[in-house]
Amino acid sequence: MEAALAAAEAHTGAIDFELWVTEKSDALLRFAYILTGDVTLAEDAVQDALTTACARWGRVSRADDPEAYVKRMVVNAHISWWRRFRRREAPAAEPTRTAPASPDGTAARADAEAVWALCATLPDRQRAAVVLRFYEELSYAEIGVLLHCAEATARSHVHRALGVLKNTLSREGAEDA
Amino acid sequence: MPEPEYGPEQELGPKIADALQTKAHTARGLQARGLAQVARKRVRRRRQTLIAGSAAVVVALSIGGVWGAIGGPSPVSTSADSSSAGGAGDADSKEAAPSLPGPACPEQHPILTAGSHEAVPAGVGLDVELPVYGLQACRYRLLAGDTMLLGAATFNATTAQQVVDAIKVLPERNPTLPVFKCTPDTARPSEAIVLRFDTRLGIREIWVGYDGCSSAGFFTGSRTFGLYAAPLKLFMTGTVRPTGGTYLDHLKGW
Repeated sequence: MEAALAAAEAHTGAIDFELWVTEKSDALLRFAYILTGDVTLAEDAVQDALTTACARWGRVSRADDPEAYVKRMVVNAHISWWRRFRRREAPAAEPTRTAPASPDGTAARADAEAVWALCATLPDRQRAAVVLRFYEELSYAEIGVLLHCAEATARSHVHRALGVLKNTLSREGAEDA
Repeated sequence: MPEPEYGPEQELGPKIADALQTKAHTARGLQARGLAQVARKRVRRRRQTLIAGSAAVVVALSIGGVWGAIGGPSPVSTSADSSSAGGAGDADSKEAAPSLPGPACPEQHPILTAGSHEAVPAGVGLDVELPVYGLQACRYRLLAGDTMLLGAATFNATTAQQVVDAIKVLPERNPTLPVFKCTPDTARPSEAIVLRFDTRLGIREIWVGYDGCSSAGFFTGSRTFGLYAAPLKLFMTGTVRPTGGTYLDHLKGW
């Protein structure tokens, strides 16, 4: 009887996980793509996070916000790659705007492309901090926890990134004018 | 959205948020199919690997046990066989150390050849501000020509962090301990303890000196903390508990 109950419970857990992944995978992949800037890295990060989540699905599914919980795992998976492969943070010496400013009504879209291209030139941690701040709308304290650094460091990552973006955009703006 | 905090954030925040949202919703080529199935497969494989690993450990321990039984007592004692170790008489009065499985203390450790419990090699010492996830205390005999591992004990993350917290608040020197004058050959301690902490950077160590006559305390290579009883009584249990020491004999409450 107990075995049957356990099997039933395991079966229910399995269905929940499958359904949840089906429902949330798009959002998770989009978040990972924004975070990593690369389709393959994004898929790997989400797969790693879901593997971890699957192993402790009981706890994850009981969390207040399982999606946020798994997104944290995605960030951790990404950070762990930084550690595992010692991916060096190698910002471009001089960030360049790759999308030309458009004089017609598509200027807003061109700006978005330019910001995205500039984000790609940011060091990994700065980029992650920017994504967590402006895409996930987290506070600096929350970003610090996710990136395993102090709140002040998280703030500094974002502010440095903003400084670079602002300088580059205004320089390009002046050149366009 | 959290409140923007200063000019550039106010100015660029919405632009960046918009760019990221746009990109997120126009991303192409993201493959969402099969994620759950792959996750399940990986978890199953990990569990199988874990079970196989555990089985191998059990077999190895069994073989080790049989070997120990027929080969005579090992010179290395651990907290698990504290009753057979010298100096374990006091262990009865101490709470049993919470132990976790972990790699054994190395029988050949740099402290055996360092000549001093102060000479923690660069990059090995613990940054006491780093969170720790476990602790292994290894007690070594340092007598020239007769060095050996005397005892070992493993502690969980809570105790490990308590030990670090108790050490990092200590002053550089305990002024209540005596200052000895001795020749270099007699200054060498007869034993010392190496605290090996699990950290996110790997194993990091604090060397504990309580014998000899040149120095005593907790050494990280870059910092020195005086020898006080508070941290000692957290890990000096079982076979890691010495019977005494030049400085320990002048310290109360450990």
